[in-house]
Amino acid sequence: MAEEKEAKSIDQATVDMIEKATQDGVRIVFERAEAIKPCPIGAEGSCCSLCAMGPCRVPMPKGKEETPEEKKKRTGVCGATAETIAARYFTRKIAAGAAAHGDHGRRVVEAFLLAARGESADFQVKDEQKLLQLALDLGVEIGDRSNNEIAIDIGEKLMEEFGKQEGELLFLKRAPLKRQEIWRKQGVAPRGIDREVVEIMHRTHMGVDQDYQNLLRQGTRAALADGWGGSMIATELQDILFGTPAPVLSQINLGVLKEDEVNFIIHGHEPHLAEMLAVAAQDPEMIEYAKSKGAKGINLAGMCCTANEILMRHGVPIAGNFLQQELAIVTGAVEAMVVDVQCIMQGLTEVASCYHTKIITTDPRARIEGATHMEFDERNAMASAKAILRAVIDNYPNRGKNVRIPSHKTDLIAGFSHETINYLLGGLFRASYRPLNENIINGRIRGVAGVVGCNNVRVTHDDIHVTLVKELIKNDVLVLETGCAAMACAKAGLMVPEAAKEYAGEGLASVCEAVGIPPVLHLGACIDNSRILMAATAMVKDGGLGDDISDLPAAGAAPEWMSEKAISIGEYFVASGVYTVFGVNWPTIGSKEVTDYLFKDYEEKYGGMWAFEPDPLKMAQLMIAHIDKKRKALGIDKARERILYDMAMRRELEAV
Amino acid sequence: MEYQIEEKSAPGRDKVEVLGATFEKGKPEGEEMGRWCQKLGSREEKLKYLRTALRYWYSKDWFGSEKRKTPA
Repeated sequence: MAEEKEAKSIDQATVDMIEKATQDGVRIVFERAEAIKPCPIGAEGSCCSLCAMGPCRVPMPKGKEETPEEKKKRTGVCGATAETIAARYFTRKIAAGAAAHGDHGRRVVEAFLLAARGESADFQVKDEQKLLQLALDLGVEIGDRSNNEIAIDIGEKLMEEFGKQEGELLFLKRAPLKRQEIWRKQGVAPRGIDREVVEIMHRTHMGVDQDYQNLLRQGTRAALADGWGGSMIATELQDILFGTPAPVLSQINLGVLKEDEVNFIIHGHEPHLAEMLAVAAQDPEMIEYAKSKGAKGINLAGMCCTANEILMRHGVPIAGNFLQQELAIVTGAVEAMVVDVQCIMQGLTEVASCYHTKIITTDPRARIEGATHMEFDERNAMASAKAILRAVIDNYPNRGKNVRIPSHKTDLIAGFSHETINYLLGGLFRASYRPLNENIINGRIRGVAGVVGCNNVRVTHDDIHVTLVKELIKNDVLVLETGCAAMACAKAGLMVPEAAKEYAGEGLASVCEAVGIPPVLHLGACIDNSRILMAATAMVKDGGLGDDISDLPAAGAAPEWMSEKAISIGEYFVASGVYTVFGVNWPTIGSKEVTDYLFKDYEEKYGGMWAFEPDPLKMAQLMIAHIDKKRKALGIDKARERILYDMAMRRELEAV
Repeated sequence: MEYQIEEKSAPGRDKVEVLGATFEKGKPEGEEMGRWCQKLGSREEKLKYLRTALRYWYSKDWFGSEKRKTPA
């Protein structure tokens, strides 16, 4: 019997374009993944390549129990144990992820200060409300000062967070009080964003920290410097510069490309250039220029998290998620892919060389061999964006005949910042998380799940995300999403209010209908996982669901994770008290001790812990079981009889 | 926000003034669809909103489930 081949994607547009790539003889990620299998020793965190005496491989024996003597011998040449090797590997992943988000945050602060000091005419404080919010957070004087004066103080204070050497990050104070106590007790309250990352790189250097628990403690500290530091700074200042997201209707999938217009895709993670391009693409002068080249107009679409940024704030359509980046080019209809940083495959240039598409790099930190480099100058942001857009338009006449745009596209509603959720739940005069908490307490909503993360070519594209989320909402779990996970569910039609009736359980559907929200809420880019932390904190502070994030009937997942950023995100969720399940593979399987420590002992320390489960339905069961465990601990697992007290009964109570 | 006052007849009284509807008529369109922050006009209104709606962080009177004698 022939072996059944695993489907590459559940998304028909993706399947169609994989087929076209094969017809066109173009090598894409799906084909490369067949040619190169993951190294099984590296995948389980059992390979140490930190010094030139190695690399040393210390894999766990397969198919038999290891004797203590065998275990003792399973070390690198320096004597590093499988535990140290796995913990160093894991902690370095956190460092890389935290560095990526931290550096993103730093660039946002730089742009923010340029705007505040009037050194960039095109960036300015757009959201005064959020500016004032940050001023209150950071103790910046408001009074009668101008927005720019306030913004300079905010920017300077937040810039110091990166190089701070002692004390605590300022945003930690936003967390529930009990959570702050836990961080201090465990010695993981981060001092400065850069310091925690640098310290990991030192401690994981050959011959430094060789106690896996101590290594992981520093990993936690750096991850918290990501979630409650770099990521949160990026989200908040982007909101001030470009506006706090509010619900917006848009569309997603490769079908958003247009046959008769200049198509260009902005891909990566940082929104500065994308914001300018979104405006430039509507400039009548640029539209005229496109028409002079034979196009009917200009069509901007997004890819990955830059897409999420401009979707959340402007409703710019999304062409696809991580595994669709090459496929957008395979349509033959994309004049250029303009990239900034993170999750940009080097394979893009090879794919682009088979069509007319230009790959334009714009950031000095992220150049790609074979791409055209046009650096984005934040001081002259609009002029810079227009120069890039002209180059894109100039490429339109070069489009060939081999064009096939899939028809698939789906409506979605995005823009659910934690402030907007608060507003939607209670209205302008009674904005509150109370209705959410009440509906969790009364059982209409069983709990809340954060489903985030990437795509991974080692599993069927989008399948794990969509299967997991459908199972969660079917069981009355409200789902908050970011990143490529959000895009997968949007393509499956889960991000419109009508989805509640079709896919959600009766209780969740009734709440969604009353509030007018989808059962799966899009909170933004992967940097915006900080919005989920804030929403969880608001739920705690509203009351009735315990006094810490770990008390909430909530769980997290990254079912198709791929990048090191995902590990950092997962670690800061866990260290914030959230039970977090990852799919695909797990990078410490090579050490049972390290894995047990992350999966079991963490719960005692942080209230949250990790889990690994590649099967989406089993993953959903794990998350629901955890939610039920928390409901039981809160005493809201059963309906309670309601008694109306008369005066006599009240007096009796007071007497006690 | 400007409040609308409506006159209504009440039992036992002739006419009383009541606060009118606060929802906006019509359907928002285009860029402004779904936006709500701009309903808050002045800086004072914005600060007031922060202290009430986002009381979880910005109101001194709010303790919620975190009411405790000793701050963390």
